[in-house]
Amino acid sequence: MAGILVLAEARRGELRDVSLELITAATELKARAGGELAVALIDATPERYVARLAAAGVDEVLTVRSPVAQFEPHVSARAVEGLIERLRPTLVLAAHSIDALGFVPAVAATGGRGFLSDVTALGWDDGPVAIRGAYGDKLVAEYDFPGKATTLLLLRAGTFAPAAAGDGGGGARVTEVAIELDGVARTEHGGYREVPAGDVDITKADFLLSIGRGVEEKDNIERFEELARRLGATLSVSRPLVDAGWVPGARQVGQSGKTVKPRVYLALGISGAVQHLAGMRTAETIIAVNTDPEAPIFGVAHYGAVIDMFELADELEQALD
Amino acid sequence: MARDPKHDILFEPIQIGPKTLKNRFYQVPHCIGAGSEKPGFQAYHRGMKAEGGWAACCTEYCSIHPESDDTSRVSARIWDEGDVRNLAAMCDRLHEFGALAGIELWYGGPHAPCMESRATPRGPSQIASDFELNIFPRYMDKDDINTVQQMYVDAALRARDAGFDIIYVYGAHAYLPFQFLSPFYNRRTDEYGGSFENRARFWRESLYKVREAVGDDCAIASRFAVDHLLGSTSIQVGEDGARFVEYCDDLVDLWDLTVGDIAEWGQNAGPSRFFEENHEKPYTGQIKAGNHTNKPVVGVGRITNPDTMVAIIKSGQFDIIGAARPSISDPFLPKKIEEGRLDDIRECIGCNQCISRWEIGGPPMVCTQNATAGEEYRRGWHPEVFHPAANREKSVLVVGAGPAGMECAMVLGKRQMAAVHLIDASREIGGSVNWISQLGHSDGKENLFRGTARGLGEWKRVVNYRQIQLDKLKNVELHTGSRLSADDVLEYGAEIVIVATGCHFATDGMNAATHAPIPGADTSLDWQMTPDEVVLGSKPVGQRVLVLENEAYFMGVSIAQKLAGEGRDVTLVTQAADVADYMHYTLEAPMLHRDLHRLGVDIHTYTMLDRIEPGVCHAYNVWNPAHTHEFEVDTVVLCTARISDDELYRELKADQERLTAEGIEGLYVIGDASAPRMIVDSIFDGHRLAREIDSPNPAMPLPFIRERRLWGDASNEDFRAQLLNTPDVALA
Amino acid sequence: MKVVVPVKQVVVLDDEFELLPDGSGVDPDGIESELNEWDTFSLEAALQLRDAAGDGEVVAITVGDEDAEEGLLAALAKGADRGVRVWHDELQGADALAVARVLAGAVGRESPDLVLCGVQSSDAINSATGIALAGFLSLPHVAVVTGIASDGSALTVERELEGGLVELVRVSLPALLTIQTGINEPRYATLRAIKQARDKPMEVCSPADLGIDSAQLAASIGARRRRLAMPDRGGGAEIIEGSAADVAARIATIVKERMD
Repeated sequence: MAGILVLAEARRGELRDVSLELITAATELKARAGGELAVALIDATPERYVARLAAAGVDEVLTVRSPVAQFEPHVSARAVEGLIERLRPTLVLAAHSIDALGFVPAVAATGGRGFLSDVTALGWDDGPVAIRGAYGDKLVAEYDFPGKATTLLLLRAGTFAPAAAGDGGGGARVTEVAIELDGVARTEHGGYREVPAGDVDITKADFLLSIGRGVEEKDNIERFEELARRLGATLSVSRPLVDAGWVPGARQVGQSGKTVKPRVYLALGISGAVQHLAGMRTAETIIAVNTDPEAPIFGVAHYGAVIDMFELADELEQALD
Repeated sequence: MARDPKHDILFEPIQIGPKTLKNRFYQVPHCIGAGSEKPGFQAYHRGMKAEGGWAACCTEYCSIHPESDDTSRVSARIWDEGDVRNLAAMCDRLHEFGALAGIELWYGGPHAPCMESRATPRGPSQIASDFELNIFPRYMDKDDINTVQQMYVDAALRARDAGFDIIYVYGAHAYLPFQFLSPFYNRRTDEYGGSFENRARFWRESLYKVREAVGDDCAIASRFAVDHLLGSTSIQVGEDGARFVEYCDDLVDLWDLTVGDIAEWGQNAGPSRFFEENHEKPYTGQIKAGNHTNKPVVGVGRITNPDTMVAIIKSGQFDIIGAARPSISDPFLPKKIEEGRLDDIRECIGCNQCISRWEIGGPPMVCTQNATAGEEYRRGWHPEVFHPAANREKSVLVVGAGPAGMECAMVLGKRQMAAVHLIDASREIGGSVNWISQLGHSDGKENLFRGTARGLGEWKRVVNYRQIQLDKLKNVELHTGSRLSADDVLEYGAEIVIVATGCHFATDGMNAATHAPIPGADTSLDWQMTPDEVVLGSKPVGQRVLVLENEAYFMGVSIAQKLAGEGRDVTLVTQAADVADYMHYTLEAPMLHRDLHRLGVDIHTYTMLDRIEPGVCHAYNVWNPAHTHEFEVDTVVLCTARISDDELYRELKADQERLTAEGIEGLYVIGDASAPRMIVDSIFDGHRLAREIDSPNPAMPLPFIRERRLWGDASNEDFRAQLLNTPDVALA
Repeated sequence: MKVVVPVKQVVVLDDEFELLPDGSGVDPDGIESELNEWDTFSLEAALQLRDAAGDGEVVAITVGDEDAEEGLLAALAKGADRGVRVWHDELQGADALAVARVLAGAVGRESPDLVLCGVQSSDAINSATGIALAGFLSLPHVAVVTGIASDGSALTVERELEGGLVELVRVSLPALLTIQTGINEPRYATLRAIKQARDKPMEVCSPADLGIDSAQLAASIGARRRRLAMPDRGGGAEIIEGSAADVAARIATIVKERMD
């Protein structure tokens, strides 16, 4: 049968939000792809997530019981092979996540299937069409998958709005799929470790709160450092603040500083000199806040707001209190 | 790459009187040490900027007569036909590149000590110069006024003959016309003193006479300080400043606006540690904003950012972007903006080394950022053109990526050496600039007269520019976090090895005053430390700190500023007449002293340490060692001698056999590793070696052209001819 | 220990690159190339494991045309013992899976103890070649590794997950890991090593030499690029309107979505 299979993800007892984004992407394509939309979860206790996954538009929720407590790439790969055999879906949608990257390419490769990672938009033209960045995201490219019975696509998190989670009353069928997974694992989980915060290597940060000339005075920097800490971000700056001697050069983003590629770059009071843009334009999501609507940074930002950075800080701080 | 359309406005022509500026980039008059007596230096330095796209370049202040003689400082002079001939070389060079030539006609009054001419300067009132030591002018009666005004006219006619397009009647920096205008100098009771019109009369008449003489052929400009910054005792922009512009607007084709005077001209040529870009806007910006002129206005403020330039023109602050220091640091600033190569701009760092050489009196100008400044003619260096080295098949190892090493590697890369590896032991390139650029900032917001305590953050541009250039050079590889031993270097596989390993501060108080260590000085103790240890925070600093300042430049005082700004009780001790003597030359001293005073730093000059004991420094007066003083302290910072880190160089040099066996043909040492020096000289040293890496003996600088008169040469006949043409000189 | 390190000479677009008129690719004038940054870390990890083990070799393998030899030479200069370059013109434009298929042929004949790939290449950013290769070779694999400890027969590795979480994983040899940047400090090659790299063994072969025919290659391709374009920024940012509170709330939502 044709149709779409979504591979949901859970980690440490929590359904990962990206799972609901995948459901959105799938429901948007479902009518054109034909067939059913099934959502599968491979987990030691998959039933915990069934209700939430039974979102509007989902026809069937498939649970695959894993013999191991944590994600294991070889178990996941075998499980997905089993699901593909069973459903013969046209399209398998998974997240462009660390876990999925650990096994989906192998499933695609060994099965001679269609495959594309880091997909940011989907379409249909007598078969699935997918868009992603090329040449270090400086260009965009469109792909199709001729001759492939099944195509696996990894979707960039945050690209699709998350679907409303099911409330347990949805009409989706729930099916437990039995796939022999004992002895399949080839790696052994050895525990988790949190990476200590406060790392000042801005090139490694996933979330940068970056401030510029708009901060006005040295004494205001501490406030934004604290705001960054509370938001789980790392503080970075544009060159004028380093020029002024207010912040050490290690925090500087730009051509003469560090080139960064965080998932989120929140730029407050940075106008966006070309040298600065060179250091951050490939951030996955750029949010720019500046009082000047003509500031060049709005030309590269995905989201912009023309307000005072201090007013925004007031509100963000209040929300965190 | 094409220029960004948002910068288009910078390239719109503008009319000034009978002349047209092709764009909005204007090199205002500034000193270089060439004057009229080094015509090659003058022509090629200004010509480089013309080539780099500036619409006009001016001379430095140009004396109109021997009784305005600034010796030992170097001004231009247009006293006679010989000067005309020499300055014509500059005009010709500028015209070749389509730039206009400007000349700043200058009469200094008592600010010109006339040490060469032995003449007597004239002035509006007999008050001694607040800039010179003990120089009084002769009171000018009406005849004197006519005589001096005729000197302006004669000089203007000669300037026109030389080929100048723009002729200034220069009064800014409190020279003669301004001395008439300002009640601070002018105490006259005749028609040249008292009321505004009377005080403005001399300047207005001079402008009128010069305009009558040359105004049809040349644009008439005036450089005017809109505010003397002395409050109600002198010219203020809101009063006579704006009024004067209105009063003389009909006689001027171009206003060149500044602030302040020559006695504290760091308010105009503001150093970056106290002044940010476009810092004169609150004063000079009022003239156009207040509709006080209908003529084009050029202004300055160490403006290097093209976006700032656009904002200045669009907001109506100025019509034309003036530059002195930014044009020295990057003569190709306009061209780089035009070509959209913003990341190639070598931005001025505001260290004022250029100015320091003029202040010292005599030596050619230098520039920290641009090692070719002043070397255009005498060494034939071009800031943007690098000839492939004759031995470019060689590969080079540069050990140490401080100022000297970065510059050397960059120039070698541009000279197309086969491979250049630049290695540094630290994580970041830049050497000492990385921590020096963190110096001196106390709080950044306190008002210090006009400026703020900003620190040396902009000095980091020394690293930024070179880092970007090095990144672009495919034949240069940069590796950090790697300390090389002599064996590593020998086995590295380079044919040329350049050691640029820097220097360190003496740990025992060895110093230039006593030529000996200070008993008890030992920075291995946790309560004694070197300046870098303070900045890097490697040791805790106590509440009572004594800083021994034996270095005469920025280091000791910057440490004192930092520690006092952090709330410590700081005593600053120097054997010299003043702390940080060299900062008088860089014009940083007045603001620095305001800051040290604000921060409560206790300064003891003519004082040296005899010995250091736990908790106490024993000091004495250098003129009377019996006069002693004890300072109770928790921490001592020894800003004394610096010592080359040259072990690697010495070890390599000692084993010539091994060098040969490993195929190393050249071994050189540059920068602080050769001898400790200022950043400007380290960069020059690295640049010089790279420029001459294919000379017969790169270790020895090639001779440079000296512009001097050769005895017995035919040109001496010209010399006699010049004398014959000189007014007021009668030869038997 | 014998470690194979697949490396890639990546394309770097300069500031003035232009698309070919037919949209099939980028004008070569705007292209520079360099060794993929991730591969410098996987290579360093390999060299360290070899050196710690005291014996064995590191083999660098690349799929690429003659220009890719530069990257291979860089790997040899840094200390890889020998290099293999696989190429045929029909590999032009091959995707991650096709490259993995070719690599599988070249890596397979080496029977290595360990294969270390970079997590991704800086130009394609597929993050897929390594794990696809593991699939073809049926090797145990761990993706996005930020730490390695070896006891000779098994490895304990750290995996970097989203949101600053690290998972410890144990895997027996032989295995394949994809290596994240920052795991170590890649060494650099001295001028002498760069000169000597040219004397190290470098084998050039084609997919056919590895027993991979055109049909197999074609079947392995996972996606067909049918259009290449400049990104449409849609006239700039989506402007968030409303009060400061509205803006703060929306930003908080966007951040939460993206960081999950």
